[in-house]
Amino acid sequence: MKILIVDDFSTMRRIIKNLLRDLGFTNTVEADDGTTALPILQTGTIDFLVTDWNMPGMTGIELLRAVRADEKLKTIPVLMVTAEAKRDQIIAAAQAGVNGYVVKPFTAVALKEKIEKIFERIDSAK
Amino acid sequence: MSSENESKLGEFESVVKDGAVDLLNKIEVGDFSGAIKVIQELSDARHKSFYNEVGCLTRSLHDAIRDFQIDSVDMMVKSGVSDVEAGSRITDASDRLNYVIEMTSSAANKTMDMVDSSVPVASELQSQARELHKDWNRLIQRDLTPQEFRDLYKRIDAFLKYTDESATTLHNNLNTILLEQGYQDLTGQVITRVNELIRDVEERLVHLVSVAGRVDSISGIEHESENKERDDDRGHGPAINKNDNPEVLNNQDEVDDLLSSLGF
Repeated sequence: MKILIVDDFSTMRRIIKNLLRDLGFTNTVEADDGTTALPILQTGTIDFLVTDWNMPGMTGIELLRAVRADEKLKTIPVLMVTAEAKRDQIIAAAQAGVNGYVVKPFTAVALKEKIEKIFERIDSAK
Repeated sequence: MSSENESKLGEFESVVKDGAVDLLNKIEVGDFSGAIKVIQELSDARHKSFYNEVGCLTRSLHDAIRDFQIDSVDMMVKSGVSDVEAGSRITDASDRLNYVIEMTSSAANKTMDMVDSSVPVASELQSQARELHKDWNRLIQRDLTPQEFRDLYKRIDAFLKYTDESATTLHNNLNTILLEQGYQDLTGQVITRVNELIRDVEERLVHLVSVAGRVDSISGIEHESENKERDDDRGHGPAINKNDNPEVLNNQDEVDDLLSSLGF
């Protein structure tokens, strides 16, 4: 299980990386916005995408839409971890096909819960 | 100064009103050359007021620029200032905010370094304690061979030493984390000062806008008010005063509720 963490702040990437490691996910890669994340995704080695919304260059919602529009990438589960909390934005993310939405500041428990829920759903769909 | 300017504008308005009455009267009695003269006078008055107001706007702008020491090539040439190093209050504020970013980032990273170095220590203590506990229980149940007993003896000695060292390491790490939180004091002070500047700038901008508004009213310029909302796609950053905005959700529970209402 290889996870791509996309956030423009290295501190946040590090926090998420550490929390994922505690959950047993040690294989992670990082990118600082959608533009740098897409080429990594297109290598076909990423199984799970955790992304921020508000980033310079390509934002998280744009990345999500790009992933869903790509025939090879569209099934990758995407978890949004972001400070964006407007009702319309969350609806937009849901419509774009997000698998989970965690608002910052978040707790380790919240992140764990959302990730487990995503995997449960994937497993039951198999 | 502004009340003086307002009275000037009032003066112009009364000139326009009086002129209009005068103009109508002249047209009614058929004094067309007199009417043209009134129009000319009105036009002159408008020009005069216009120049006055533009002058006033320029002065206010100049004052604002001077107060904020904004680097202006023109101003530096005029006043013969060659010392670009001095910088403006705005540049200074921007530097200060960059300092806040650096401080918070460094504190966050140092704290995470300490966590990274503490977690393995805690894990090692835990696993050693569990191992010892197993054999300790066997000892209680008199289930150990003499060789195992001698072994346990040494292991307990080593464990106690390791516990002591580990506690010192953890203690030091926790202290480092504690001290790192000092960034809050320093960045708080910087942000308070930048906040003061922003309030100051806003006050002056409001003044400039009111002066510029008088120029607009005389010249008849109308601005299309562009009330562009920031695009949701580009993001808004963390919401401040969430409770005042019904469009912004307050916490994860509300987000979860919204998503589940959408069938998630």
